[in-house]
Amino acid sequence: MSISLYQIGNSGLLAAQQQLATTSHNIANVDTDGYSRQRAEQGTNNAIQSGRNFLGTGSYVKDIARLYDQFSYKEQVNSQTSLGQADTKHLGLNQLNEVMTFSSAGILTSMQGFYQSINSINDNPDDLGLRNIALQQAENLTVNVNSLNENFDQMSQTVNGEIGRMAAKITEISQGIASINQIMTQKMSSGGGQANDLLDERDRLVNQLAEFTTVNTIADSRGIMSVMIGQGTTLVAGTTALSVQVIAGDPDPLQAQLQLSGPNSTMAIDSTKLGGALAAKIEFRDQDLAQARRELDVMVLAISETINDVQADGLDLNAAQGTDLFTDINSVAAQQGRIFNQSSNGGNLTAQINISDVSALSADEFEVRYDGANYTMTNLRDNSITNLGPSVAGSTHTTTLGFDFVESAGGPIAGDRYIIRPGQNSAANMAVQLSDGNGIAASSAVEITPSDNNISPGKVEISDMVNPVTARTMMPMRVEVLETAPNVFNYVTIDNTGTASAAVAYTPPSQEINMGAFSFTISGRPSGTAPSAPEQFFIGDSYGVGNGGNALALAATQELGVVNGGKQTFNQSLASNNADVGSKASQAKNTAETSQALFTQAFNRNQATSGVNLDEEAANLMKFQQAYQAAAKVMTVASTLFDSILSLSR
Amino acid sequence: MRISTAQFYSQSVQQITSKDSEINDQVKYLSSGKRVLSAKDDALAYSSLSGFKEDLSNIKQYQRNITQAEQRNKLQETAFDSAQGIMQQLKQTFIQANNGAMSNQDIQAIAAQLSSYQGQILDIANRKDETNGYIFAGHQVDNKPFALQPDNSVNYLGDNGVRSVQIGKNLTVATNQAGDASFEKIGNPIGDFSASYTANSSGFSLASAKIVNRSNYNTAPLNNPPFPAVPQDYTFNFGAPNLNITDSGGTNVFSAPYTPGQTIAFQGIEVTMEGNPAVGDNFKLTPEQDVSVFATLKSAIDWAAAGISPANPAQHKVDYDKTMGQINAALNHMSTRQVDAGVRLQLIERQESNHLDSELYLESGRSNIEDLDYAKAIAEFEQSKVVLQAAQQTFVQVKELSLFNFI
Repeated sequence: MSISLYQIGNSGLLAAQQQLATTSHNIANVDTDGYSRQRAEQGTNNAIQSGRNFLGTGSYVKDIARLYDQFSYKEQVNSQTSLGQADTKHLGLNQLNEVMTFSSAGILTSMQGFYQSINSINDNPDDLGLRNIALQQAENLTVNVNSLNENFDQMSQTVNGEIGRMAAKITEISQGIASINQIMTQKMSSGGGQANDLLDERDRLVNQLAEFTTVNTIADSRGIMSVMIGQGTTLVAGTTALSVQVIAGDPDPLQAQLQLSGPNSTMAIDSTKLGGALAAKIEFRDQDLAQARRELDVMVLAISETINDVQADGLDLNAAQGTDLFTDINSVAAQQGRIFNQSSNGGNLTAQINISDVSALSADEFEVRYDGANYTMTNLRDNSITNLGPSVAGSTHTTTLGFDFVESAGGPIAGDRYIIRPGQNSAANMAVQLSDGNGIAASSAVEITPSDNNISPGKVEISDMVNPVTARTMMPMRVEVLETAPNVFNYVTIDNTGTASAAVAYTPPSQEINMGAFSFTISGRPSGTAPSAPEQFFIGDSYGVGNGGNALALAATQELGVVNGGKQTFNQSLASNNADVGSKASQAKNTAETSQALFTQAFNRNQATSGVNLDEEAANLMKFQQAYQAAAKVMTVASTLFDSILSLSR
Repeated sequence: MRISTAQFYSQSVQQITSKDSEINDQVKYLSSGKRVLSAKDDALAYSSLSGFKEDLSNIKQYQRNITQAEQRNKLQETAFDSAQGIMQQLKQTFIQANNGAMSNQDIQAIAAQLSSYQGQILDIANRKDETNGYIFAGHQVDNKPFALQPDNSVNYLGDNGVRSVQIGKNLTVATNQAGDASFEKIGNPIGDFSASYTANSSGFSLASAKIVNRSNYNTAPLNNPPFPAVPQDYTFNFGAPNLNITDSGGTNVFSAPYTPGQTIAFQGIEVTMEGNPAVGDNFKLTPEQDVSVFATLKSAIDWAAAGISPANPAQHKVDYDKTMGQINAALNHMSTRQVDAGVRLQLIERQESNHLDSELYLESGRSNIEDLDYAKAIAEFEQSKVVLQAAQQTFVQVKELSLFNFI
């Protein structure tokens, strides 16, 4: 027999030492991110058979185990991704909400100021001071609109910057994981236990990565981990790290996109399916922010066009036709800016988007595809498809969506794609065009006065003014309407030389008559005293410095439903845009809170297995200290025993 | 369940942070007195809130417009009131002038007085408002609308423009009455025509001449050019035995014996006369629907200026009656115009009180959505404070509980 108490004592001493070391390691790493607590697994040494008995020979440390539960760890990684996405989304929308709330308050105030001064002009049209104030207010309005738009620009630039930083970080992590994999390969080949701290470090990196994007990992039998991001795009394959890079968007360069580049190839990443903070950023930029911006653009188009339209109906203080107060919405540059060519397009088509009806415009984005014969337009919001017909050089393809697709030069080839944003840049370009208050067209050009002798409630009204200056020169005019037989109405117009037109049939309830420079509408049943005394309506020149008729029409546009199919006033359009963002933001807040709760649960579950508890470690510390002391005592006893034996021989 | 030390710290901190941010939000609401600071705070209510605010700001605009409209209409109402007073005095003076006991000198003095009344009316018609614009000029506010000519007649240089302002959704009110409607378009008291007498030996006069059937008058059927027909003059010739009426083209349109008092009807026109026209009497019927107040004043002055011994006393009497009729019509017209302005003022006033009502209702709607319920908010704030304190104290106390303290 040779049972050595020394050996047993020594084995216990060594085991307790390793236990103490492990406990100390745990204590030391209590604050280390991603650290999993470790435990020295102790086992008994092989027993020695002595006769019928097995005598124990002490203890040894079998393994330093890492307390780690793969499932709870993966759960934490997944909820980290949702949390990253929800938090980022919330952050972005919250900022957008605040920017919109404060900026639209400014826009509304200046809009009210503008309309207030227009109302004052209506009351006192020849006051130059009031007119200049109105221009100043219009200027304020444009400044506020421009500055909201600049805020949008800045936010989208910031988002692009953040996307860039995230991509760089992902690349860094990718390299980190690959190099850990590299070390693991070497470790594995030298045999032995697992490298706990390296594993923790790698998991920590994966967890970091999970904040930015969805992560899936597969570890092979040797413990080498491959990492997939998004919908299974490989980021790390064994020891090969790929990098994520930001490239300019196509067709809109400002919508930067991501690509994965390896040593030999590059591959585009579908950023909408990435998940995590990265997807949230891109979604925020391309949807929430872009939507708010397009809504603003459409509203600006509506304001500019409506005001400019009414301006053109009237005469300014110099008796000239009112010119644009705000930037012309259909300048060639503006029209060209609304369409984006895909860089891969083979054709040389230059196209323009002409706004034909601001009421019909939506804040949607469209994609036009040319299939070799026809243009097909897809609404990118609801994927509804409109056929725009065949390509003909120089032709205009009208739509019912408030804009026309105009082929101004060149032609497409099959497969060419274009993105249309009808409102593009209108908020950025909005500016006051008038420099002189005299230019506000406060005066109406012509006025209709019914004869005192009219006996029916029928009406004649100006319905459209094309050229007020020409219209004035056509005055005075007279319109006479007579019911020549029951339900048969005729009208004639008598021009300013007293020449009558031929009698033309009028069909109730109303009919528009185009006079070139202007149009008027007969409505009702102006029968006159049949059979031969007609109802007379005198159309006369009404220009005067004291005429505020057109200013009244300008002022009325404040309450006019123009935007969104004629349903919303400018104010309402802005408010609903704002409310949309607010509702998204409050939704995002709820999602962020839920994600936080889910993450906390997953984190707790993971910590229950892997986290270091200092109380536990303190207890362990005492336990192993005692074990060490006891083992040392065993050695003392062995020594005493040995001394006893030695003393026998003396 | 095992709790790791890191978990304890991170969760305590997270809880305290979230309470902190809650309190921070509450402070924002409390210090602003609003519960909706941005759309996010209540996205559903935000749209209605901005609707309320828009309506409120529109009402403010209407109220500003109402102030203007009220002032403009009052200005005109006052003008008509003064004009009416002057016309009243003028009428008395004109009645005085018809007194047979007047000397030639007296009548000249009266003529001078009538002229001064004319000046006063003219002054009213050329009144300006505080913006230095003529109130009766229609749209031509910077041109003096009524200009006195050497022959005592007055020309109107304004237009028929009527300005209006919006005082409610879909409701506009006129802020002025144009000079022509105010002073020029006074309904002819005897109908649609006036008479100019070429020969009047008997002192007969035209009592009324009206178009009763427009479809027979001055026919110019739409489907039968030439068009338009020119307004016709008619010449009345009293002969023996027939009264002959010829139109401006010389066509005889009426020929029958005239019995005094009878109504003469031709071409949709009905004419009655007073007195017994003698054979050879002759007058011309000219379309004149409206008589200007200044034309009336001119005839009054001219009548007085003719003195006590006019060339044709019978005709002079007829002229007096005609002018008197026109003065009465002008007086009525002024009062109608004044009532017109008054009716507008009433409408404005009613609208103003409507606005005050809606303002109250809108304001309370806005307040319900936007304003903070302080009692509730402060209760919530206190609660959050307690929760935060509890979280902080628990953290500090639990933190002290470490086994390491005992070894």
